[in-house]
Formats: sequence, structure tokens, C-alpha cells
Amino acid sequence: MKGWTGNILRINLSNKIYKKETFTEEFAKKWIGGRGFALKILWDELKPGTDPLGPDNKLLVVQGPISGVPMPNSGKTIVAAKSPLTGTYGDGNIGSYITIQMRKAGYDIIIFEGKAPSPEYVFIEDDKVSFLSAKEIWGKGTFEAQDWLEKKYGKTAGILSIGQAGEKMVLYAIIRSMQGRSGGRPGIGAVMGSKNLKAIVVKGTKEIPLADSKAMRDRGRADLRKVGEMDKKARWSVQGTNAVLSWCNEMWALPVRNMRHSHHPDAWKLDGQRTSEARVATYGCPNCTMRCGIAILDKEGHESEIDYENVGMLGPNLEIFNLKQMASLNYLCDDFGMDTISGGSALSFYADAIDQGATTGDFKFGDAERAKELLRLIARREGIGDFLALGSLKMAKKIGKNSEAYAIQCKGLDLSAYNCKYVPGQALAFGTSAIGAHHKEAWIITYELTYSERGAYGRDKAQKVVELQRIRSSIFESLPICRFPWIELGWDLKNYSDYFNLATGSNWTLDDFTKRGDRIYALLKAFWTREHPDTDRTADYPPRIYFDPSIADKEGPAAGKHLEYDKYDALLDHYYDIRGWDKRGVPTRRTMESVGLAKEAEQLAKVAEVEEGTVA
Amino acid sequence: MKIQVVLIGQFIPRLGFSEKAVKVPAPFTAGDLAARLGLGEVDKVISKNGQGIAGGEPLKDGDRVVIAPIFSGG
Repeated sequence: MKGWTGNILRINLSNKIYKKETFTEEFAKKWIGGRGFALKILWDELKPGTDPLGPDNKLLVVQGPISGVPMPNSGKTIVAAKSPLTGTYGDGNIGSYITIQMRKAGYDIIIFEGKAPSPEYVFIEDDKVSFLSAKEIWGKGTFEAQDWLEKKYGKTAGILSIGQAGEKMVLYAIIRSMQGRSGGRPGIGAVMGSKNLKAIVVKGTKEIPLADSKAMRDRGRADLRKVGEMDKKARWSVQGTNAVLSWCNEMWALPVRNMRHSHHPDAWKLDGQRTSEARVATYGCPNCTMRCGIAILDKEGHESEIDYENVGMLGPNLEIFNLKQMASLNYLCDDFGMDTISGGSALSFYADAIDQGATTGDFKFGDAERAKELLRLIARREGIGDFLALGSLKMAKKIGKNSEAYAIQCKGLDLSAYNCKYVPGQALAFGTSAIGAHHKEAWIITYELTYSERGAYGRDKAQKVVELQRIRSSIFESLPICRFPWIELGWDLKNYSDYFNLATGSNWTLDDFTKRGDRIYALLKAFWTREHPDTDRTADYPPRIYFDPSIADKEGPAAGKHLEYDKYDALLDHYYDIRGWDKRGVPTRRTMESVGLAKEAEQLAKVAEVEEGTVA
Repeated sequence: MKIQVVLIGQFIPRLGFSEKAVKVPAPFTAGDLAARLGLGEVDKVISKNGQGIAGGEPLKDGDRVVIAPIFSGG
């Protein structure tokens, strides 16, 4: 087998037994790598109803056939587990040297099982695995933990770690690497913490098996240069992702005040121009050609690495328009190892619930100092922080009083920083994202606001969402590789099938990827259904507040606009029809069979109703 | 007539402003405006009133026009 190492390292933290296993080429070509591998393994190995924070959940670190090879932006690793936020499959991609080191150590997949008896970290050096005490870094933030590990193992060692939020199992804790990279929004850091696993360190010395090493090396060198030149010409990295903030504000699609508003006159204080001017450093992932990590100084003088999602959710969504204060909140989330999006959303939901009289408390929109205190309490799970650590949906379920309507989430995962109350296609993208509302799954807002009628609910929007979910799930999440050269600079998708073919000796076209994207998405939704057998189409609805006429903006192009249930349902019907899913949003047996999931359809039918469907 | 032009992202350092009023003769289209600013041949999205518009879209006095690079998001 070329491209893939074909090796799985299975580590049981409870009894410290580890073993090397292999997977077949058939498995590799069916699931590609990254998300595809993780999803299939978790489907096969987790019993339905497994406690996400119990020892029976499994934490996976996964690579793919081009991981670790110097190609444009190929430094991504997938971390995956059953999510404590959504109760279904969850994952994230993270830029890290572990991508390179794991492949050099000879593994595509590492599976962590069980729970260490006391806080530990694991050091993997080629075939050897050491279980080491984490007492010197347990209780420390991710910056200090990374520093400590880098001093011990070197700056280019592959290191993943969690902060206090992961240790305390804050449900939206993430995993960190390289002092600035984060991944695993659906609480994958909490799963790592539940296993008493503070960090994973990998070093490898082996050759990565490639079908044509020389051709790949030559192509990688040339393409790294080309994409770098494209970025220089386009000047994308000048503002990075935060250029989107002023566009969202101008388009009235910005998250403001727990998304009750979609525009704010002070938003410019946090926009890409301001963050670019305040920049003190720029960071990126391994093999990056367009570094997006713009670091600015926060109020306390820390370097805080920001991108649009962080700024949107910790800035306007909390009505905090002081750049340094917003950067402080971002720094704290990073250091504690918690998701800035869900962290911002938990805080905005809390302020909103107090505003609405649904609960009591002393937090108000715009109060940056109190927001900092709350983040500290969340990370320690002390006092009100223990409640805020649950994330907006679970908080709303506890509060009641119709507060679930303004918990800005889908399937338990909070929306990224796009206000969709007058953007139905993007609302559909969030609603149908099978891991919960995540911008990495399908981002159609520029298509929708630029090339389509904004308020329309046409089939073209459902088609676009499906198309992007296919591409992102199969290429970007499963190779895995960063999507930015494609989405921001227009780097041709065919390059990615070329890389795959050079690595594996295959002759795949883009169609081969998108077919696997359909398989992956069907199994993602089957996973959700297996864990939620009574699921219905409301699981694919965006937050209910988007349908509420009373919160429509009072002025601007979105004045009086809100989503409408009957039209959204019609849009959802288009989506299900294109996918071959039933009216509840469950893949039919025929659809699953058509994408090579006959066995999985049988398994699903044992716990949930699966309609026969018709041949697509 | 006067058009309020708002630039996004990398167009700001490229043209040296983020927002300003531009005097243009009538009739004038969105495409004319982009060309006047030196962005005629550049990939871009032009919007007005929260909705994308085509290059041939006629502008009127007082319009607020947003010109952004093409991005497909985070």
C-alpha cells in the first residue's frame, strides 16, 4: 500500500497496553483518511449510548495519505470522538507538527481507549510508547504546557495538549497545538480530559511511503511556491479571515447581541484593518503558504492570535468593541483550551437569558471584565462557571422558560459567527451539518449573498450546501488538508486529486472524492440517528429565534426580515431529496446501499426506523 | 452623483482607503465604478443594500456600494 502507512496504534490508557494494528487498502480507499477513517472506526467500535466522557469513548488522532508531505497547507490532523456537546460523532482539524511526526513514526491512526488512573501524557517515539506523569503540567494552561513539552522534546515534536477546560471537561473544550492552533469544537478536548490525558507527543524517524516520492517532492516544492505567490498577489494574508467581519457587517449578517441584531455601527473597531494594524506577529501551521494567525496584544499584554470566528463571537456578539478586551477574552479561551465560538455563545446566551428575565445573574452585554471572570470560572468549573461550561443548549434546557429559542446552536453545537436570520441557505448549511453548526462543513454565504437572491429558498441553495459538504468532507476533512488555498485564493480542486494520486499511485478524479463525500455524510447522519433514534427534521433546523418576527432588524437591508418555517421546510425537502434521505432527515436504506453502506443500514435499522426509499 | 464606496479586506491597502464618497457622472454602473477605482480586472464581489449586484447594475445618487475580494469563508 502506498500513501497510507496502513498502521493503527491502539493505546489503552487504563492498563497501559498498546499494540500496532493494520488496515487494508480496501478500507483506505473506501474512507480516504482523516474524518472518513475516524467516523467508520467510531461507528464500528462505539456502542450506541456510550457516555462521551466515560472510559468507553475513544479519542482518535488521524492522518491521511498525503499528511506530512510538504504540499500547500498539508499540516492538518483530525481529532475525533463521540461529542459530549452533541452526543454524536464529532471532530475537528488542527494544524500541528503531529501531522508530520505521526506519519514519520509510521501511523495514520492513533486510538486512545480507557482512562489513565492519574493525569498522564503519552510520548510516542516510532514503535515505543511511554506513559508519563503529567503532574508538572496538569492544571496549567495550554501555553505553559506546550512550552514545557517543547523544552523537553523540541519545537518540531508533534504535540497536542489540553488546558484546564479539557481537564475539567468543559463540554466545549478543544485541543491545542503549536501555541496557536486549535481543533475539536464538539468538545474533543473534554474527551481527552476525561481520559486524564494532558498531552500527546509524537516523534518519528521513518520514511512516509509514497507511490512516487520524487514527483511528489517536486510538485510540492513548486506548488508551495505558487500558492505563496498567489497569496502575495492577492494580499489575502494582510487581513486574513477577519476581512470577513466588515463584509458581514455591511451585509447585515454579523452576530450582534446573541445574534438578535445583525449589524453594529462600532463593528469597524474590530475589523480586519484594525487587527492588521495591531498585528505584532503572524503564525501558521506546518507547510502553510498563507498564514492566517494574526497575533495582537491583549489588554494584559499577551499575544492573542485571532481570526474572524473568535472576533465575531467574543466581540460584537457580546457587544464588546474594544479590540484589546476582545483579544483578552480570546487569549483566555486559548490558554484554557476552550472553543472561542461556543465560549462566546455560552456567554452571550447567559447575558441574553438574564436580559429576558429567564434567569438571574450579574453579567451584561458589553461587560468585558466580567466576561473574563466568567471564562476563568468556566475553566475551573466553579460557581456559575460550572453551569456555563455546559454550552448554550444544555444551559437552556436547565433554565427552561422558552430560552432554547435563543440558544444559538444546531444539534448542540453553537453556530459560527454568521447571523443567518436573513440568510436561509447558510441557515440550512448550519442546520444540516451532521456534527452540529460548524462553518467548516458548508459555507455558502458569499454564494448566497452574491450570486443568488438573498431571501430566496431555491433548490440551488440546497444543491450548493450538498456540493460543499461533499467536497469538504471528502477532500479537506479526509485527506486532511487546509481548505484556504481553495476557498480564498481559488487554488484548483484538481490539485488535491493530483496529490492523492501521486501519493497512492491511484487515478482518482474529483468525482471519486465526492462519491465518498456522500458516503461519509450518510454515515455521519446515520451516526446521529443511531444516537438519537427519535430524531426528526427539527434536528436540522437553525435556532428558533431566526424565525421570530419580533427580533428582525428594525433598519437596514435586513429590516423586518426573518426565516419562515414553511419555506425553510421546503428548502429542507430539497436538501433531503438531493441526499436521498427521508422526510425526517434519515438516510434511506436504498441510499445507504447505493453509497456502500448496506451493512451500516442493517445496523442502524436495529435501533431506529430506516425507510426503504427508492433507487436514486 | 455621489456614491459611498466601502472596501473590504485587501482592497483597503491596495487603494489606500476603507470608505469614501466618490463623485461620478450619471448614468454609471457598478462595473464602471470598479473600473474607475482600478478594480475592473480584479476578481471581486460588489454589493448594495445587503445583496450582491452584477457589474451592469445602474447606480443612483447616495448608493452605498461594498466591494470585496472573493472569499469563500472560514
